[in-house]
Amino acid sequence: MAQGSVNPSQVNTGPVKKAILDTLTLFLPAIPFALVFGLVVVESGLPALLGWSTSPLMFSGAAQITLVTLLGEGASLAAAATAALIVGARHLFYSITLAPRFQGQPAWFRWLGPYLLIDQLFALTVTMENRDPDYFRRYYLASGFSFWTLWMSFTALGLFIGPAIPESWGLAFATPVLFLGLLALSVDRWEKVVVAVVAMLITFALADMPNRSGMLVAAFLGILLGLMLERFRR
Amino acid sequence: MTVLLTIAVVGFLGYCMRAVFIVSLAKHAFPPLALRVLEYVAPAVMGALVMTMLTGAEGTLVIGVPEVAGLVVAAGVVVRTRNVGIGLISAMAVFWILGSVIS
Repeated sequence: MAQGSVNPSQVNTGPVKKAILDTLTLFLPAIPFALVFGLVVVESGLPALLGWSTSPLMFSGAAQITLVTLLGEGASLAAAATAALIVGARHLFYSITLAPRFQGQPAWFRWLGPYLLIDQLFALTVTMENRDPDYFRRYYLASGFSFWTLWMSFTALGLFIGPAIPESWGLAFATPVLFLGLLALSVDRWEKVVVAVVAMLITFALADMPNRSGMLVAAFLGILLGLMLERFRR
Repeated sequence: MTVLLTIAVVGFLGYCMRAVFIVSLAKHAFPPLALRVLEYVAPAVMGALVMTMLTGAEGTLVIGVPEVAGLVVAAGVVVRTRNVGIGLISAMAVFWILGSVIS
């Protein structure tokens, strides 16, 4: 892996090749997550194909696990659906953050792009310093469809081998490490460090809220704090 | 059939949440202050996301010394090298080594 491969501004390769390399780097820690999802489907008692259908229909790992788990535990359809939507509500933040990058893009891309918008793709594109619209579109699509293909494949594979992975390997720890690394890349001013730390502390304080909804409150308050700090700077 | 319909509805509403601002704000100019505030979304959301991954449903931290050491190493390596891949490998190495020593 070439140094700087996850920071799109630092490498002069084409957007498609670069996107695929970055995607592979970011997907490696997500492999255990995909396999665990397969295990969750098996344990939920849902038919395997029906559980796996959440991958193409929802394409949102945490929301998929929430929905399938709750359906397997006998929750009502409305309750399970509501919980899954709350878990996925952070995508609203992603949508408003990336909206300026979609301005001036073709209409088909504005309608197709959101389907591919997952945590990893947001993290890759929000830290992108290359402002060229054509580069952004090619990179976004190449990375998005790479993630999509890998997620479909590995969640299907997880139906068969997910139950066989020893928990003692601790592979799930790679996911918070990955996002902490992306967080470290995204903070280039002390105000952003303050916002990130405050959001983490509020999330911890609200960790027992239903369906992990404290995360949304923390993110909202963190952004509000950013607004105040920005006004203070001016 | 009902479950499949529920999955499809959740998928559609999830898509709407991702698309709402991207599609609706396509023709609107963003004020400079709004663009600067949007810069804080990534640290706020990713900070909240990381902490969510580190806490259990009961609100307690589910990490020990190996995890804390791994996270510190990851942050330090990424800040220094600007490379998430190297940070990830370093953190997992520290996590596994300390985990095996402590246990």
